[in-house]
Amino acid sequence: MAALGRRPWSHASVPAALVETHATYQHVFDIYVPIGLGVITLFALATLLAVVLYRRRPPEQAARFSSNDRLEGGYALLLVCTIAFLLYITFSAEHRVDTVSAREQPQLVVNVTAAKWEWHFEYPSYGIDRYSGAVGSEQLVLPANRAIRFRLTSADVIHALWIPALSYKHDAIPGSVQSFTLSFARPGTYSGECAEFCGLMHSNMLFTARVLAPSRFLAWAQAERGSTGARR
Amino acid sequence: MRGGAIPLLVWAALLALLMAGNWVWTGDTIQVGTFAFAVLLVIGFALALVVRDRGAVRPGPPPRQARLEALPGVSLAPVGIALALAAILFGLAFGHFAIYFGGGLLAASLGRLALELRAAGRARRRYEDEHP
Amino acid sequence: MSAATSAPGGVRTLPGWLGAATSADHKRVGLNMAAASLVFFLAGGVMALLMRAQLAQPHTGFVSEGTYDELFTMHGSTMIYLFVTPMALALAVYLVPLQIGAAQVAWPRLLLGGFWTWLSGGVVMQLGWLTEEGAGRAGWFSYVPLANDLNTPGVGQDLWTIGVIMAALGLFLVAACVLATIATRRAPGMSVLRMPVFTWTELVSVLMVIGAFPVLIVAMSLLYAERLGAQVYTGFSGAIDYQDLFWFFGHPVVYVMFFPFLGAAAEVIAVNARKRWFGYPAFVASMLAFAALSMSVWAHHMFTTGGVTNQYFAFTSTALILPAGMEYLGMLGTLIGGAIVLRSSMLFALGFFVQFLIGGTSGIFVASPVLDYHAEDSYIVVGHFHYTLFAGSVFGFFAGVYHWFPKVTGARLRESLGKVHFVLLAVGTNLTFMPMFFLGDYGMSRRIAEYPTHPSWGPLNLLESIGAGIIALAVAVFLVNVGLSLRRREPAGDDPWGGHTLEWATSSPPPPGNFPAALPPIRSYAPLLDLREQKRSALAGGGGT
Repeated sequence: MAALGRRPWSHASVPAALVETHATYQHVFDIYVPIGLGVITLFALATLLAVVLYRRRPPEQAARFSSNDRLEGGYALLLVCTIAFLLYITFSAEHRVDTVSAREQPQLVVNVTAAKWEWHFEYPSYGIDRYSGAVGSEQLVLPANRAIRFRLTSADVIHALWIPALSYKHDAIPGSVQSFTLSFARPGTYSGECAEFCGLMHSNMLFTARVLAPSRFLAWAQAERGSTGARR
Repeated sequence: MRGGAIPLLVWAALLALLMAGNWVWTGDTIQVGTFAFAVLLVIGFALALVVRDRGAVRPGPPPRQARLEALPGVSLAPVGIALALAAILFGLAFGHFAIYFGGGLLAASLGRLALELRAAGRARRRYEDEHP
Repeated sequence: MSAATSAPGGVRTLPGWLGAATSADHKRVGLNMAAASLVFFLAGGVMALLMRAQLAQPHTGFVSEGTYDELFTMHGSTMIYLFVTPMALALAVYLVPLQIGAAQVAWPRLLLGGFWTWLSGGVVMQLGWLTEEGAGRAGWFSYVPLANDLNTPGVGQDLWTIGVIMAALGLFLVAACVLATIATRRAPGMSVLRMPVFTWTELVSVLMVIGAFPVLIVAMSLLYAERLGAQVYTGFSGAIDYQDLFWFFGHPVVYVMFFPFLGAAAEVIAVNARKRWFGYPAFVASMLAFAALSMSVWAHHMFTTGGVTNQYFAFTSTALILPAGMEYLGMLGTLIGGAIVLRSSMLFALGFFVQFLIGGTSGIFVASPVLDYHAEDSYIVVGHFHYTLFAGSVFGFFAGVYHWFPKVTGARLRESLGKVHFVLLAVGTNLTFMPMFFLGDYGMSRRIAEYPTHPSWGPLNLLESIGAGIIALAVAVFLVNVGLSLRRREPAGDDPWGGHTLEWATSSPPPPGNFPAALPPIRSYAPLLDLREQKRSALAGGGGT
């Protein structure tokens, strides 16, 4: 863990093995989706074949078998193996995204308060506040390649913070602070939104994450230190 | 009724197994509580069947048996009870007039139900007398 | 036996609509319930069309934000509480007594009371449209704190809550009656393991209703108390508790909305392949397991809350692959070696199986928490449940309609119109719901009245809206078919398709008491097929000795 040390912004100390949420999602996706598509195609084709082969036969020719213990047993075993395999993939991935990421030492903590119908982002180490949503859209500026701990709550009803590019969302529930750790692999601009219906202006509760290279983020943070955004 | 309670008991057993898994894995009181509630409802239903007829837990096909019942052709009572309930609950949200109307309708319908059940009993006894 | 006699005593029938409304005959109640459900289906469909008109472009402004919130809430609530679930039970009410050789249901007054309680609940729920703040608008699951009186004030939301309680209570009473009927009124010889496939799907469905619906009634009653000012669901634990209670009902209900239509499709496939359903014992065992598992998976709807143990629910949700997979082996095993006829009913049944698989596999997708962290509350989920419920259950429903319409009315539905109906519905369904998987993956949230102008979102949404229009056209064709078939009847006879089960051993429609003549011997789950095969063997075996 020495790399996650004293000077987090130098190029030399990119933390080892940061959990990348989107990459983990993609890994699971790349196993689940082909299997699913394969199963659908297999059954669709088998059904089509059966219908084509056994059409237009007189009723007397219909076979009378209605069971095959070996087949059913073997097939059940195949299904159980499939379940076991998928569970292994799923549990490993979930462990990474939920547990391993929570053990990372974050280089940045962002407190997020969701309220009808805006996001309040607060950087406690820099005294910066930003707001986005129905009220306007100040960007949430973040560093790339660093572990960012979000501490999420709600001021009123249940909301959910979703960043599609990271394939991750988490609910903001009043009376709790939900912690999760994310990291962005590349600088860029990523959209974010509220993903839990919260009333009239739910569609407008949007925000943009502006991800900068670590050194540029540091420069931005120093320059903006103490600013509380245009809203208040 | 033969074997009628068996699927319920099998199912309740499966539920209890899953409930045990939930308890061990999550230890969440509300979750286990709702699970237990469901298990108890199903077991309760099965017990009611068994109390009526012990054959409900014996496997096998139902035997031939003559049963005599008085079945209603039409029944106004349950319709009245349902509409009365609707009026009362609607009145909770809207206004007390509906609650009073519902209360009256409920009383009338319960009375009607009593009359219907009595008439059914009388019809059954008359049939038994005429066809010993 | 089931010879029914009528003796004088009390009112036997009333004239006209009053008689139809208060009749305690299970066939009448079943028909009434099905007809009412169909009316609610059309209402819910109109709501969907309005929603799709709004979403056809990023900012159409076709309806206001508030109206859109009412539309999606009422569309979901109407379809779930007032169409698919009651229709599933209506099929049970009509068909199960016939399939088990019974003259009538076990508790006819309770059945009638349950139907009227459900119907009143549906009406009360819809009355919200007439109120000032509008109909229910906190989503069909009405999470707290959003659904409390502070965040969603107004009598419309109150009426929605009351409507849900009444509808759930009514359905519970109907289900109890069906369960008692199956338990106590099977004909001599019909052991539990000789009940038809469709009856088994209804049995496990009513078991789930018994276990799960009371919890909804509790959750909603407490919500109503909260709306009156009581502090019931407070803080984080209160919010999670509400979701636990709601989804404990909310997951089993979707299986209640699926199994009976699986059963209908299975019957249709067996009859139209002229083979009994393949793998019956495995089917029975897997239906019991499927229904039990369905009661244990509910918190997969809560993966993103941080308030539940995700692993247990990922485990039980993924385990659903086993019973679901067995059903598909059953379907293939029934088709293979059969003598298949591609009637309209069969097309819908095959469509059910293939399309439901898309819904089912997308369900396994969201059963994985990491995948669900992206998919939850996005159009991926909307696509998933519309594939299971619409591309699945509704196709199974139509399979059942084309199959059993002759039995219920004595007339056949037109085959030509049926095939047009099928093709239009298949095209419309896939056009409407397939793009949703992509839109959700790209980041489109559910329950939004407008969306950003990302490049592909507008065109994909437009495709979906066009698809919805095609669905409406398909439904119109169906309604024309029904009207035409009832006006200019093609008489069906007792058994137009060569059915396997007892409902085909009586007239179309069945008389009061259902079976005036003696029932055929019951030695399996397909007694009429047994009889037919026996006769065939006897003839083939030689006319001599």
